[in-house]
Amino acid sequence: MGARRVEHVMGTAVVADIRDDGAWEDALDGLFEWLRFVDATFSTYREDSQISRLNRGELRPGDAHPDVGEVLARCAELREQTAGYFDAGATGDGVDPSGLVKGWSIERGARLLERAGCSNFAVNAGGDIVVRGGALPEEAWRVGIQHPTRPGAVSTLLAVSDLAIATSGDYERGGHVLDPFTRRPARGLLSVTLVGPDLGTGDAYATAAFAMGARGPHWTARLPRGYEAMSILVDGTVLATPGFGALEAG
Amino acid sequence: MQRAVKALSTIAVVALPFVNVASRAAAAATAVKRKTVWKRVAGPQAQADRWGYVQVVLIVRKTTTTSSAGSKVTRRITGVTVPVYPDHTGRSQFISENSLPILISEALRAQTHANVDLVSGATYTSEAFTQSLQSAILKAKKV
Repeated sequence: MGARRVEHVMGTAVVADIRDDGAWEDALDGLFEWLRFVDATFSTYREDSQISRLNRGELRPGDAHPDVGEVLARCAELREQTAGYFDAGATGDGVDPSGLVKGWSIERGARLLERAGCSNFAVNAGGDIVVRGGALPEEAWRVGIQHPTRPGAVSTLLAVSDLAIATSGDYERGGHVLDPFTRRPARGLLSVTLVGPDLGTGDAYATAAFAMGARGPHWTARLPRGYEAMSILVDGTVLATPGFGALEAG
Repeated sequence: MQRAVKALSTIAVVALPFVNVASRAAAAATAVKRKTVWKRVAGPQAQADRWGYVQVVLIVRKTTTTSSAGSKVTRRITGVTVPVYPDHTGRSQFISENSLPILISEALRAQTHANVDLVSGATYTSEAFTQSLQSAILKAKKV
């Protein structure tokens, strides 16, 4: 029978879709409670969040919640791995780990669902997705990658299990992702989709590759094992890592 | 056109020498022609150790910039495909064992599928669309 729930949290709609038989109200309560905690702790839009207080100097790093330390440390690692293109300080306005927090918290949320006994489910946070098991009664989850210029269409369709999928892009107005070195909107790509074992990491890689512009796809050719990428260039060329194609449905 | 631009530039020299630099640059910019073509360049079929043969095709963007100073050609590799690879091992295995930084190039497709569980997209502008599509998908599953 399964269970589904949609809640607006972290500035986006989070959809949890559990396909296992059973009553999952408690599991879903736990998931969304966790996501609301993350929002309250990390949001830069909330005056009283720990991140806002750190940035105002009202909270010492050592006194922050352990999760804050974990996320900031991971941001620093990812900045290193992406040659500075994933930069939680890119706005020049104190630290802003938002680029990692959504994916990181959804990944952690998926682990909560697993611990509650779910094994076939998907969590979609505004297009950043974690899937586990299959979309019962189907074997795999069918995840469309949004077409960057045609609403309603997908550029490709993946059939996946136990994977995270994140897409970074500018579909209409442009200027969403900044090149941290020029502080100007990244140019050259319409979107970058990353798939791999961890949503936070994949999301950060997608942001970094997008910020690199035309050089992004070449950078994705050397991602760590388990991560694959598909970049759509402004001229409509699609450049994908070889393993990405293996995930495409039929 | 060329003559008119030159004449303008000469007047500028007489009237406002300081502005001349900018106007000459503008004149040069208007006279520049840029032509871009995309070419596929196939490499030879090469023996890859015990794996068999591999052939790599590069996609090269060739830009010819022509101005009064002459023409300049720049080439840039924008994609790599592997049309021939050792099929007895499988392409992915070959690539992973050799860690070749390879990208597969193809044209952008637009498809509509009835059977999609979720859609991955960039949050910013697509949020509304993604949410709407997501709820439509959820609805469709209950029909």
